[in-house]
Amino acid sequence: MQDGEIGEVIGSSNTEFIAESVLLHNSPPFGTFIKVQSRETIYAAVFNSYTHSLEPNRLAIAYHRSEQELRDEQPQIFELLKTKFEAVIIGYEFEGTVRYHLPPQPPRIHSFVYPCRPLEVRRLTSQFHFLRSLMSVEKAPRDELIAAAIRTAYAEHKGERSFLVKVGKELIKIIGDDYELLSSILRRIQD
Amino acid sequence: MDNVQKGRRRVGVIVNGSLINGLEMKLDEWYSVEDIRAGRFVVIEGEKSCFFCMVTDVRLDTTNPQVLADPPDEAEELMRQVLHGTTTYGTVCLRPLLMTEKDDVVGDRPGEPHLVKTIPIHFSVVGEAEEEDVNHIFGHEGNPRYFHIGQPLDMDTPVCVDLESFIERSNGIFGKTGTGKTFLTRLMLAGLIHKDRAVNLIFDMHSEYGWQATQESGSGGRQGFVKGLKQLFGSKVAIFTIDPESARRRGVQSDFVVNIPYNQITVEDIASLSDELNLHPTAVESAYLIWNKHGREWLSTLLSQEPEQIKDFADNVGAHPESISALHRKLKRLEKFDFLQKQVHEDAVYKIMEFLGKGMHIVLEFGQQSSFLCYMLVANILTRRIHDLYVRKTEQYLATHQPQDKPKQLIITIEEAHKFLNPVAARQTIFGTIAREMRKYFVSLLIVDQRPSSIDDEILSQVGTRITALLNDEKDIGAVLTGVSNASWLRGVLASLDSKQQALLMGHAVPMPVVIRTRDYNPAFYSALGYVEGEDLTRKAESNITDLFGDR
Repeated sequence: MQDGEIGEVIGSSNTEFIAESVLLHNSPPFGTFIKVQSRETIYAAVFNSYTHSLEPNRLAIAYHRSEQELRDEQPQIFELLKTKFEAVIIGYEFEGTVRYHLPPQPPRIHSFVYPCRPLEVRRLTSQFHFLRSLMSVEKAPRDELIAAAIRTAYAEHKGERSFLVKVGKELIKIIGDDYELLSSILRRIQD
Repeated sequence: MDNVQKGRRRVGVIVNGSLINGLEMKLDEWYSVEDIRAGRFVVIEGEKSCFFCMVTDVRLDTTNPQVLADPPDEAEELMRQVLHGTTTYGTVCLRPLLMTEKDDVVGDRPGEPHLVKTIPIHFSVVGEAEEEDVNHIFGHEGNPRYFHIGQPLDMDTPVCVDLESFIERSNGIFGKTGTGKTFLTRLMLAGLIHKDRAVNLIFDMHSEYGWQATQESGSGGRQGFVKGLKQLFGSKVAIFTIDPESARRRGVQSDFVVNIPYNQITVEDIASLSDELNLHPTAVESAYLIWNKHGREWLSTLLSQEPEQIKDFADNVGAHPESISALHRKLKRLEKFDFLQKQVHEDAVYKIMEFLGKGMHIVLEFGQQSSFLCYMLVANILTRRIHDLYVRKTEQYLATHQPQDKPKQLIITIEEAHKFLNPVAARQTIFGTIAREMRKYFVSLLIVDQRPSSIDDEILSQVGTRITALLNDEKDIGAVLTGVSNASWLRGVLASLDSKQQALLMGHAVPMPVVIRTRDYNPAFYSALGYVEGEDLTRKAESNITDLFGDR
C-alpha cells in the first residue's frame, strides 16, 4: 500500500471501473475526481459508491445498536463489510499532457486509486470535455452527477462565477434541446 | 488592409443571407443587442473583399422554443447568463452597400469602393466601422469638394457630402415639421457657400436663413438665436426682401427691396395659383382672352376696371361677363400686396441676375408676406424669368465655348415645395420644368418639404440627393424612397430616426445611404466656416493691416 491511496481497482472496462475503498464507509465523494496509477495516469469521476456484505447474496443484519456500541461489542462484523465505488473515465495523462479521451487500455486490476490534487482538478476542468463523458453515464442521475462534478470543479476555480457561466454554455452545446435537464443542472450549481 | 482590420471591434459573424434580401449576423454574446442601432455602420471582413453595411433590423432569436415557453425568472441569474448568446441570441440584419477588394490596395489604403455584387462567405467576421472606413467612403473635408454634414450614429467621424455631385442634380430635404429641416437646409447652404460650389437663390418664406433664426432648443435645452448666412458670410450674401417694413422691425438690413410690376405677371403665374385663389378653370381661359387683347398689361387693365365696367370689358375681350367678373373679384386680392406695383424703377430680376453673376448668394425674405399665395406668386414670377435668362446664357455658352460665358451653377431653394410640385402644379409652374430638365441649363432646385407624398412622382424620382429627417407617414416614407432601388429596408431606418438632429442621407452625393447625427450649428461650426468675432476679429484685422502695410 502507498500513501494517500483511497482504493484499489477490482473491475475495469474502457469507460469505467470499480474500486474497493481502503476504509469502510470512506469512498471518495460523489462527483469528485480521482486518478488511477496504471500504465498511464487515468482520470475519472466518481458516480456511484455502495457498501455491502462480503457474501454476495447476503444482506447485513440490523442489530438496533449504535455504530460505536457495535464496534465495542462485535468488531468482527465490520470486517465482513466492504465499501466499493464506481467511476467514469474522463481522460488520461500521456507524456505530461492531459488527453480528454478514453485511454487505450482500461485501468489494471489492483491498481491503486488516489484522489486528484486541487491543481489536477483545475487542469482537468479547465476544458469542458469531461462533461461529455459524464453525460454518457446511465447508472446515476445525470443532472445530479454533472452538477456535483461542476461543484467540485467550481470549488477549485476559487468560486469564479465566470467559470459557472462558461460551463453552462458548454452544457447547452452538449445537452442540445433538453431545456429541462439544463435548468435542473443549473439550479443545482447556482450558488 | 491588415492594419485596418486590427482596429475594428468585433460585433458578430455572418450566418445567413442573400444579395437581394441582405445578410444576417449572429451577434457576439459580449455585445449587447441594445448597443446595436438601426442605421449603424459596420464592416464585414470577407475572404476576398470587405463589405460596408448598414444595420437595418435587430431581432431576438432562440435555438429552442421551449425556452420561450418557460423563460427563466429574474432570480435565475445564472440561467440568464448561460442562455445569453447561446440558446438565445441577437440577430442583426445588415444591408451590404459597398465593397472593396482586399487585393486591390493602393499604397496602404484599400481600393475604391464599388457597388455590391456578391456577399461574404459564411462566418465572416463583422466589426464596427472605424474612422478610416468612413473617411475612405465618404471622403475627407480636407478635399474642397467634400462638406462635413454630420457624423454616423455612435461615431465621431465626419460624414461628408460630395458637393460636386450634389449640385449636379436637384436635391430634396424632407422631414416632418420640427425635425430640423431648416437646420439641415441652412447647413447645406452654408456648405455650398463656404466651398463656393454654386450660387444660391433662397426663397426664404419665414425669414430664417438671411440674418438670424431662433433655435428651438440647443444642446443644453435652452432657446437662442443662431446666425444666418448673411452674418456668417457677410458680403458674399445679399438679403433681398419684399417686405421692407418687417425687415426693419427685425433689425435686418436688406440689400434690395423687390417690387414686381403687374406687367410681369403672366396668365400662367395666375393659373398655377388657381388653388390658392380658388379660380375656376374657365376663369383661366378668360384670363387668356384678356391677354390676347391687352398683352402684358392684361392684369393692370383688368384690375383697373370698375365693377360696373366689367360687362363692357367682357364684351370687348369676347369673354363671358360672369367669368370675367369672378376673375376680377378674385384677382383684386393681389392689389393688397405692396410689392406688386404698376411701375417699378429697378427690375428685381436683373438685380438678382447681376448679384448672381457676381457670385453672390441671395436670400429673398418674405417677412410678413408669408402666405402661400404671395410666396408662390413671387417665386414663380422671379424664377420663370431667371430660368429664361439662364437658358439664354447657356445657349450663348454653347455657341462660344468660352469658359467666361459658362453660367455659374445656380441652386434655387424653395420651401413647402409640394405646393409648387404637386402633380397638377408641376405641369404649370416653372419649378416642375427645372426639376425635370434644368440641370442642362445650370439650374437646380433644393426642395425643402414636409409632405413629400404630395410632390409629383416624376419629379421625386429625379431628385438626386435626399436628406431626410424623421417621417412617420407611410405615404411620405414611400414618396421619399421613390426612385431608390430595393428600398424596402430603408423604411425601417427612416421610421426609427430620432426627431432631432438625425437624418438619412442617400442619393447622388453620397456613395451609400447613411444615417447621420447632423453637425451642430454652433460657434464651432461658425469658426470652421472662417467666421471670426470678438478678440479674434481684432487680431485678424491687425494681422491683415500688418500684411497690407507691413510693421509700422
